[in-house]
Amino acid sequence: MQFRPQPPCSAADGGRLFPAWFGRAAWRTIAAGAVLLVAGCGGGGEEPTPKPEPVLTPADPEPPQSAGGEAGNPAEPVEPAAPAEPPFAPPPLEALNRDTTWIDRPVRDALADLAIELAEQPPLATPAEALALKNDSAEHNATILSAVGRLPAEGEADLSASVSRHLLVDLNSTNPILISSSAENDVLGLTGFGLFSFDRHMEPFASAETVVSWQTSVDGTLDKVVLRDDLVWSDGEPITAHDVAFSFTVIMDDRVPVPAVRSGTDQLRGVHAYDDQTLVFFHREPLATNVWNINFPVIPRHIYGDTWEADPTLKDSPEHVALEAQPVCGGPYEIVRRIRGQEILLRARPSWHTVDGRQVRDVPFFEEIRFRILEDPNTALLALKKGEIDEMALTPEQWTTQTIDEGFYAKNTKATAPEWVSFHFAWNTTSPFFSDRRVRRAMSHAFDHERMLGTICHGLYTPCTGIFHPTAWMATTRPLEPYRQDLDRAEALLDEAGWIDRDNDGIRDREIDGRSVPFEFTILCGQQPMAQDICTLLQESLDRIGVRVAVRPTEFTVLQQNMLEKKFDAAFGGWGTGTDPDTSENIWATGAGRNFGSYSNPEVDRLYIEGRTEVDRAKRAEKYARIQEILWEDQPYTWLYWRNSFHGFSKDLRGYVFSPRGPFHYSPGFGSLWKPAP
Amino acid sequence: MSEPARESIPPPRPRGFWAEAWNRYRRMPLAMAALIFIGFLAAVALFAPAIAGTKPVICKYKGRLYLPCLAYYNRGWEPVVFARDKFRGEYPANLEAKDPESWAIWPLVFQDPYRAVRRDEWPGLPANPARDQGHPSSRNLFGTTQTGVDVFAKMIHGTTVALLVGFVSMGIAATIGITVGALAGYFGGWLDVVFSRITEVVMCIPPLVLILALLAIVEKPTIWKMMAVLGLTGWTGISRLMRAEFLRLKSAEFVTAARSVGAGPGRIILRHVLPNALAPVMVPITFGIAAAILTESGLSFLGFGQPPPSASWGSLLNDARSNLKMWWLVAFPGAAIFLTVLAFNLVGEGLQQATDPRLREARK
Repeated sequence: MQFRPQPPCSAADGGRLFPAWFGRAAWRTIAAGAVLLVAGCGGGGEEPTPKPEPVLTPADPEPPQSAGGEAGNPAEPVEPAAPAEPPFAPPPLEALNRDTTWIDRPVRDALADLAIELAEQPPLATPAEALALKNDSAEHNATILSAVGRLPAEGEADLSASVSRHLLVDLNSTNPILISSSAENDVLGLTGFGLFSFDRHMEPFASAETVVSWQTSVDGTLDKVVLRDDLVWSDGEPITAHDVAFSFTVIMDDRVPVPAVRSGTDQLRGVHAYDDQTLVFFHREPLATNVWNINFPVIPRHIYGDTWEADPTLKDSPEHVALEAQPVCGGPYEIVRRIRGQEILLRARPSWHTVDGRQVRDVPFFEEIRFRILEDPNTALLALKKGEIDEMALTPEQWTTQTIDEGFYAKNTKATAPEWVSFHFAWNTTSPFFSDRRVRRAMSHAFDHERMLGTICHGLYTPCTGIFHPTAWMATTRPLEPYRQDLDRAEALLDEAGWIDRDNDGIRDREIDGRSVPFEFTILCGQQPMAQDICTLLQESLDRIGVRVAVRPTEFTVLQQNMLEKKFDAAFGGWGTGTDPDTSENIWATGAGRNFGSYSNPEVDRLYIEGRTEVDRAKRAEKYARIQEILWEDQPYTWLYWRNSFHGFSKDLRGYVFSPRGPFHYSPGFGSLWKPAP
Repeated sequence: MSEPARESIPPPRPRGFWAEAWNRYRRMPLAMAALIFIGFLAAVALFAPAIAGTKPVICKYKGRLYLPCLAYYNRGWEPVVFARDKFRGEYPANLEAKDPESWAIWPLVFQDPYRAVRRDEWPGLPANPARDQGHPSSRNLFGTTQTGVDVFAKMIHGTTVALLVGFVSMGIAATIGITVGALAGYFGGWLDVVFSRITEVVMCIPPLVLILALLAIVEKPTIWKMMAVLGLTGWTGISRLMRAEFLRLKSAEFVTAARSVGAGPGRIILRHVLPNALAPVMVPITFGIAAAILTESGLSFLGFGQPPPSASWGSLLNDARSNLKMWWLVAFPGAAIFLTVLAFNLVGEGLQQATDPRLREARK
């Protein structure tokens, strides 16, 4: 589950679940916005990776993906087009402009805005002072972030610098519309082209690097975008509105196995390019989430236009195989070398910032970005200490015990910040054990939360009370009390639910369909040590009250498959956050694609629809808060903890700023990092 | 005078082959030491719950005697009365509180191989240290893991796992190998062809890959299934050796003699040939035990072993991977695996020297 299976730990991203692909606009925009599954548990660095996990890894996202690719996104419950809908025929532009009142929407330069935001907070120390500190207190952490998380003054950055980044797993594909994991998000966010993004407060905007203007109709059913005319692909062909409309067609074609970016995008009625620069998005309904639905990755029409129908997998034909290795990129970087399972080398492409001899966009802060693929967090930490990589996500164990000595601080420092990634035990509400809310509550009462937080999580994580982070705008304001271990309550609830040891074998049982069923179940988790430790603690806790648990560490793709097919009783997993609370509908609505536990509550379904159609943010917040409260009452998950970001950085790096989606998965994200000139 | 005396003393009866071999074996100090060490391990494995555990070996509760420590052999063997009386796995305080008359004999070390001991579980003692704080101490002889589980208790119970894996898997392998080899060698002909080809096919299956595949497929992977795979794939060497012995011996005079007095093939195989053919296969069996233990540890080290909570030595090494500064997670299980595998190999070598007539001749 990132469900993460272990979490994904990293959830970060990778997974886009639903929403669209938010983000990848320019190089500064690295984000993708969906909820992801996290695979790891946190552990490992969270593995943000997709596959496994991390987490776990985290984030891994997309379960559907594991499904194989075959049919695209199995998780998507929503058919792209209702059969009854007539074919889409866009009206002429003149008619549109005549009949529509347009409202201007923000077109921003994410990096410039971040610079303004940071300038309002004077640094607490000089970078040299901050880098001499050890990050062993909240105060030092704040000082390091404040002093080092700065943008460069004119001429301060070394624009010919190179940086080595850590990837926990290799990419499945370098085609941006096939993205599904946080690792792909990390790389393709730098090489991909996009119109929209969102900042660290998750406010959506159009990127000034690619867009001239963005307007929405008053009734909320149209979005009009004018692209800049100085954009070219890495092969020199211009990037036009036709590429965007073409990408929409490909993404929505059922033959193309799109794991993630179809959700959200499928809410669109159509996308039409009126000329090379003018693009209109047609929505079916005026939804609050429309700003996210128009954000999807773009591929070049002149490359794929002739080949995609012959090979809708986009991966198998000789042309597509060649493109996998050397994709035509629309972002600030292009892939110059890819060695599977080892590394991916990106280089800044001059045609991004200089067109016809004229500099039209900022030069990125790095000339070269090298992604090193190291699946074992311990190996990665050794590489960081030796200076072979410049940054990595740290596990709690690494943070508390292996990054405190001179060996680490000689070349590196580290920083932490809250991140909206939570982990949980998911209960299958259709299983005979967990259909009763009292049983699920008993599980939450029985688990030793204190020991998990203190020992396994090294005291670094905070208890989780439901689906929204307490600092998020949509979270409930009612204080929800985290569960604590209370075996008496747990036993009383189980007795009440009819689970009593009637046959005197020490295991509770209950008669179901005339057969006595003992309370013995299997919990699935990823293979990260942390996920296993937490599940083992559940096993130990429940063993004390006559419930037997088998812990089954499972390979990430198998785990995803079992979750999708709902072949499980219980599972440990995690979710990253989407940019909009509506992205979680995919997890909780009746029959939704990622509703692995088959939870169903008509009131929750209704609130999600109301939340999407409501435009006023305060009123939306009430709806989502109510959803959180209902879910907390029902406990379809036993929520465990919020996994914060823990990151190690080389002392040469500057400019890292954390968001609720971690240091990189927003805009500018990685685009704000730089190295000082010598 | 001396003549009758000489007559009355019967000539010394020649000692049997095995007695002879044993006689030679015990003169080899290294092999003897290894054998004694294995005996020691077997004792530890057998009595693990009495050495380290949190459940009384024997206790008197409400007028009856119970053996709660049996739960370590099989979870279902724990007396139900303790679950009913809501002991929740914590015996010391509950015994005292719920029946002041009760008494109990405790394991030598009050530590559990599957979980950390909680605070005041044994009255007055703090909880086990966790994270990287669990250095070896008087309470935790070999330290604790990151989650606070006592390493000594895990090592003791891990002995059971290691020996079980070695003996059970090689037991299966020996049974199959000896049967197949004996039948193929004795009867020859098409049976030999069929069995030999089967043997060759099985030789081509890498057991490690098969185990990994099995773990991914089966609903509940257990250590028993792993032993079965190791046994079902590990018999080929034994079978080929056995077949060669049978080919050699089936034309020996004593077999011909047996056949001439009317002995059937079953009797000849079991009674006459097998005992004489057994010596050479004892050696690969012994080496096989060492290999099986090593395989199990390796799988656990990689995280593919017994599902957690596991007391396997390899799983301790796996814990150590995330923090190499916790040297006690490497040193103790590493030493145990090394010594055990070494011991089995020394025994195998000793057996070889003691039973192989050519080696014996060469020594003289």
